[in-house]
Amino acid sequence: MKTLKLKQLIIAGVVGTQFASPVFAADSAAPGTNGTASVEIPALAADGGNPAQEAEIKALKQQVEALVEKVNALEQHAPAEQTATIQNLDQQVRILQRQREIDQDAATAKAATAPKVSLGQNGFSFSSADSNFVAQLHAVLQFDSRTFFHDDNAKGVDGFLLRRVRPILSGTLARDFEYNFTPDFGGSQVQIFDAYAIYHGAPWFQVEAGKFKPPVGLEALQADVNTSFNERSLATDLVPNRDLGLALKGDLYGGAASYVIGIFNGASDYNSTVTNSFAQNNKSLDARLFFQPWKNSDVNALRGFGFGVGGSYENDNPATNVTTSLTPGYTTDGQQKFFTYNKNVYADGVHWRLSPQAYYYYGPFGLLGEYVISDQHVSNDNTHGQKNVDVRNTAWEVAGSWLLTGEDASYNGITPRQNFDPRLNQWGAWQVVARYAELNVDDDVFKGYSVNPNYSLANPTASADRAQAFAFGLNWYLNKNVRANVSFSHTTFSGGYGGKSFAAGSVPSEAENVLFTRIQLAF
Amino acid sequence: MKTFLNLVLLLAFAVSVKAAEVKLLNVSYDPTRELYAEYNAAFAKYWKAKSGDDVNISQSHGGSGKQAQSVINGLEADVVTLALAYDIDAISTQARLLPADWQKRLPNDSTPYTSTIVFLVRKGNPKGIKDWDDVVKKGVSVVVANPKTSGGARWAYLAAYAYALEKNNHDDAAARDFIGKLYKNVPVLDSGARGSTVTFAQRQIGDVLLAWENEAHLALKEFGADKFEIVTPSLSILAEPPVAVVDKNAKRHHTTEVANEYLKYLYSDEGQEIAAKNFYRPRNEAIAAKYAANFSQVKLVTIDQEFGGWAKAQQTHFADGGVFDKIYQQ
Repeated sequence: MKTLKLKQLIIAGVVGTQFASPVFAADSAAPGTNGTASVEIPALAADGGNPAQEAEIKALKQQVEALVEKVNALEQHAPAEQTATIQNLDQQVRILQRQREIDQDAATAKAATAPKVSLGQNGFSFSSADSNFVAQLHAVLQFDSRTFFHDDNAKGVDGFLLRRVRPILSGTLARDFEYNFTPDFGGSQVQIFDAYAIYHGAPWFQVEAGKFKPPVGLEALQADVNTSFNERSLATDLVPNRDLGLALKGDLYGGAASYVIGIFNGASDYNSTVTNSFAQNNKSLDARLFFQPWKNSDVNALRGFGFGVGGSYENDNPATNVTTSLTPGYTTDGQQKFFTYNKNVYADGVHWRLSPQAYYYYGPFGLLGEYVISDQHVSNDNTHGQKNVDVRNTAWEVAGSWLLTGEDASYNGITPRQNFDPRLNQWGAWQVVARYAELNVDDDVFKGYSVNPNYSLANPTASADRAQAFAFGLNWYLNKNVRANVSFSHTTFSGGYGGKSFAAGSVPSEAENVLFTRIQLAF
Repeated sequence: MKTFLNLVLLLAFAVSVKAAEVKLLNVSYDPTRELYAEYNAAFAKYWKAKSGDDVNISQSHGGSGKQAQSVINGLEADVVTLALAYDIDAISTQARLLPADWQKRLPNDSTPYTSTIVFLVRKGNPKGIKDWDDVVKKGVSVVVANPKTSGGARWAYLAAYAYALEKNNHDDAAARDFIGKLYKNVPVLDSGARGSTVTFAQRQIGDVLLAWENEAHLALKEFGADKFEIVTPSLSILAEPPVAVVDKNAKRHHTTEVANEYLKYLYSDEGQEIAAKNFYRPRNEAIAAKYAANFSQVKLVTIDQEFGGWAKAQQTHFADGGVFDKIYQQ
């Protein structure tokens, strides 16, 4: 019984030693020890016990000593192995974390140099990481209808038309160079409308070269997608549309003043240079100054006020009407010609234009106006025809707009506060517009007609000397990219030089009444 | 028409005349941040006293190869201070931003200071790393940057390779085997030398860092001499980091004169002192002697001696498909 209890005690002691080894290690502080645990087995009392018992006890003692040695060995090695394992695992974790950091840094660096692609309301854009190289694809699609009323004698053509179909490739090269290429597939011919490059040296110093809008007319310079009506007014008949040239331009004082001065081949009144080459030596000098003095001020009511003057000057060599600087004719809102020069008439000498202009935008209200003088020396090549006649044609317009839904009006387009989405009870932006314009042709163009119709510059029975147009409409901006509008234009004509009345069937013979609609997509 | 063109040219000329404060961009390799922070302040003071002009020096740091590529790709460096001549040669040949003989324009082949590769180990050197043979042993974790992007890592690679060549009677196969074993011990490849220092010293990864000598000293200074110690191998390589004006950029920025002076001043007494204080071995013998205690005595071999020059070394070891690519994929 005693022996059994002793075994149990020893075993319990040995087992207990394993858990309490730090304590033993701490306690085994005797010099020369290595901090390992030890169990002191008390010597048996020398009472001459049973030899068999003694042998058994001795064996047990040896076992215990062996176990103690093992325990000591385990205590010595187990922490080191555990420590090594833990250290190894710790290193692996650190390596993985560091690898991840390096990979993230590499990914960030790569992303910083990766090209950017975007598609949204501003079209499709593809650019380098630093935006020094950009290629953008935009498009304009205008699907119109024109319906002429009370045109029994001079029938306007009712119908649908693709007024503008323009894919636009634009972008940036080497940070400072902008480019634009715009062909047009609308109407009855394909042509290049814009093809230019601009060097942006500084806001005040930019150079533009190629085919683009000369800096003359205010309404003409407005982007085609931002005009209030389907067609520009009579005033724009007297200014050039697009031309080939080189211009210096810039913005000063934060855009409060801007200038453009350029040299161009010379385009006739509201006409584009269709051929992309030059026809005569003399060139047109075009220039414009425009001021928005309160653009950057705190006076909100005046920030949208701008005024300026544009003009052009050229000295045309005598040439045929077909090839150079004589207008092919002035058109109504419905794009019908109400004035043309006779076939044997040509530009002969100085042609200058002057256009004071202004606009004002404040809140939902917009107002735009301009006055244009186009003064041109014109000759009839008939031996007895009018020669070097100083023809001064003038035009002016006033156009107003009001956004019923409260957005801010702007020369540069409207952004609806809410896009059209009937599910959300959102109806886009609505705008009413109205315009008055008139164009006056110099009566001198008809001189000589009464002597001989071949002597005058124009035929007073087919061409009016005055057109007056009143238009009003409603524009619906579904979102920044989609717009629909309906408008009505009424144009009356005056003329009858020398008592002549307009010929039956001629455009000026009766008032023009046109209902326009348009669906426009632009991005 | 002619009058108009004359007007355009006159305005263009007016634009081209710069009136702004002088600014320099120094594109440098990874571990030179502290050196150029101190040097730039000194040079700005010197230039102000000499010319009356203010000069504002911006720094860009990264792996030497990456930095060279950045300049080639358009980073508008006025000067480059890179880890090895090959990287500046690349700027010359690929981007033609400076002439091929750029290295002759300044003394000592345009290297105002030198350095070498040493070992930085944990305090007490628990793995007992004394020389290159210890670095390739199993169980030793080595931290070094990627030689494809880091100039320091290329020097370290070549130092190890040179040791193996010297040890094995210039047996190339044995040297490749040696370098293969070394990179098997590398758990993480940073893109630049500074990144490797972060890995070793801050992230506590690895047993030994193969470091620029200056980087090793800076680690002791920053983290404490109670954390790390420097071990100098029996053999290392003479690293000669060169400097150069990037002619076309400097011309475009109208900074040629200042850029030239900026690099020349590295050879002045003040420039050499600053280099030495930042643990770069100065070329000036007097100043080198003054700071001799900062630098260990070590047998140094040159890239020309062991590898036939940088062009050959780059082609053999670090180009795509070179020795490094082969051993690192194994």
